[in-house]
Amino acid sequence: MAYDDFRGFLDALRKEGQLLHIDDEVMPEPDIAAAANAAPRLGGHAPALYFDRVKGFTDARIALNVHGSWANHALALGLPKETGTKEQVEEFIRRWDTFPVTPEWRENPVWAENTLEGEDADIFRVLPLIRLNDGDGGFYIDKAAVISKDPADPQHSGKQNVGIYRIEVKGRRTLAIQPVPMHDIAQHLHTAEERGEDLPVAIALGNEPVISIVASTPMEYEQNEYELAGALRGAPAPVSRAPLTGLPVPWGSEVVIEGVIEGRRREIEGPFGEFTGHYSGGRNMPVIRIDRISYRTAPIFEHLYLGMPWTEVDYLIAANTCVPLYKQLRRDFPEVQAVNAMYTHGLVVIVSTKKRYGGFAKAVGMRVLTTPHGLGYAATVIVVDEDVDPFDLPQVMWALSTKMNPAGDLVRIPNLSVLELAPQASTPGITDKLIIDATTPVAPDNRGNYGTQVRDLPETAEWLTRLRQLAATR
Amino acid sequence: MSDTTPPRPASPCPRCAHETIEHITGSPVPGVWEVLQCARCLYMWRTSEPARRTRRDAYPEEFMLTPEDIGAAPEVPAVPPLLRARGRNGYQVTGSAYTP
Repeated sequence: MAYDDFRGFLDALRKEGQLLHIDDEVMPEPDIAAAANAAPRLGGHAPALYFDRVKGFTDARIALNVHGSWANHALALGLPKETGTKEQVEEFIRRWDTFPVTPEWRENPVWAENTLEGEDADIFRVLPLIRLNDGDGGFYIDKAAVISKDPADPQHSGKQNVGIYRIEVKGRRTLAIQPVPMHDIAQHLHTAEERGEDLPVAIALGNEPVISIVASTPMEYEQNEYELAGALRGAPAPVSRAPLTGLPVPWGSEVVIEGVIEGRRREIEGPFGEFTGHYSGGRNMPVIRIDRISYRTAPIFEHLYLGMPWTEVDYLIAANTCVPLYKQLRRDFPEVQAVNAMYTHGLVVIVSTKKRYGGFAKAVGMRVLTTPHGLGYAATVIVVDEDVDPFDLPQVMWALSTKMNPAGDLVRIPNLSVLELAPQASTPGITDKLIIDATTPVAPDNRGNYGTQVRDLPETAEWLTRLRQLAATR
Repeated sequence: MSDTTPPRPASPCPRCAHETIEHITGSPVPGVWEVLQCARCLYMWRTSEPARRTRRDAYPEEFMLTPEDIGAAPEVPAVPPLLRARGRNGYQVTGSAYTP
């Protein structure tokens, strides 16, 4: 089932018992962020949260934790809310096989109902902004889809980008943005800045849930996020043209902010409690000038709490980080069986693979490091045998316990690239990386004393199904 | 969201101790809270937030900023060299039609 707008998904969550409406009046800080901080601890079926009685506001509507559980992630993809994690990743892979699906242009976008322009484009008049963590430098917008084009090739729809970046509110018409150098928007900005130009952007808030998933998927530079959204939705993604910049934005957004990243300008930003579970320091980062805000009547502000994992962001960037790595590895190494990159956006990547010959698993590990996402994230790669489920951490620990010999199975590569937010780097942006080969050595790598491995009994799979059914009907 | 008259802030920036504090906005329900911002470190806060975020004497030391910290903050991403001298062109870059 495809949702055309954010409210359609909220309705579905409500019907499925996955939306918790907080009726009590709450303080904008720290109540709302603290509730969203707590929500994922309710487990794999944690609900989204909806607040509409916020002290000092007359008409605030704030939704959080919308993707903050495996149940909600399943519903976002139109799957039953009981669908398991591994099954959701497998379904994601299957749907990606239908990529690309051309988006559908639609007139009369829901966000065109109201407009503020120029000096009137005051973000505080539209959004009930709140602060998240204690050390944050201010209010953030951190779940919006930011749309931009490659200034050197603006007609190339593949080179356009839809991405989620942290955005700090710096003033009534001023924002800051973090374009991590490995991300597509940083390439757009680089091109604009070396030409001495500003970079036009549209910032779409409160989107149907698949837009948030594709906007946080590490796709390749020339892959179009809306075309992936169509594949994941099973229906073309509805888009409309933003009135000021001409950029394609989701038809069903609650709010669309347009303006420019001002070329060659940097200003103090942050800190912000980041997805790494650590604050970034204060840094000089690009500045956005807001020129126009379009918004649906009575807009809902969708926000995202992130802190020490797991929080909503970890669910949002779990399956969609695993799948592109899987796809890219399989091109060269069809022996790869599964990829689990759901820990901290793939700072750790676990790959299961068959082996062609001795040393092969290490080659797979090295390939992970050179994928586009691996360049900025994969700091540790664990490679396990084809019969180890990388999503089953006890099995991964068994592989580490019995297959890995530090004498030959740890490959440390010095001074590779990593995003500057990675806390473990001594020099921000540069770190040593590690491949752990936890596969069973095969000839001509004849290390170890591996006799015959114990395997599941042939009837075990059948019994697993039978036991699940019995347990469900108790 | 409202046009309430800004009160004069009574304390310096909780984060960097700067004395110049800007009034950004007030609560739509008049008088409940104000949003303020430091003119130097750009820290922004709501007056109704807990003391650990709003008062210099209660602000956590690990989050404090000095003028030296601000001056030494790294540039992310680095501004590239100009290809050639050229003025800004506003929206020209994306004025073209999108072809899905």
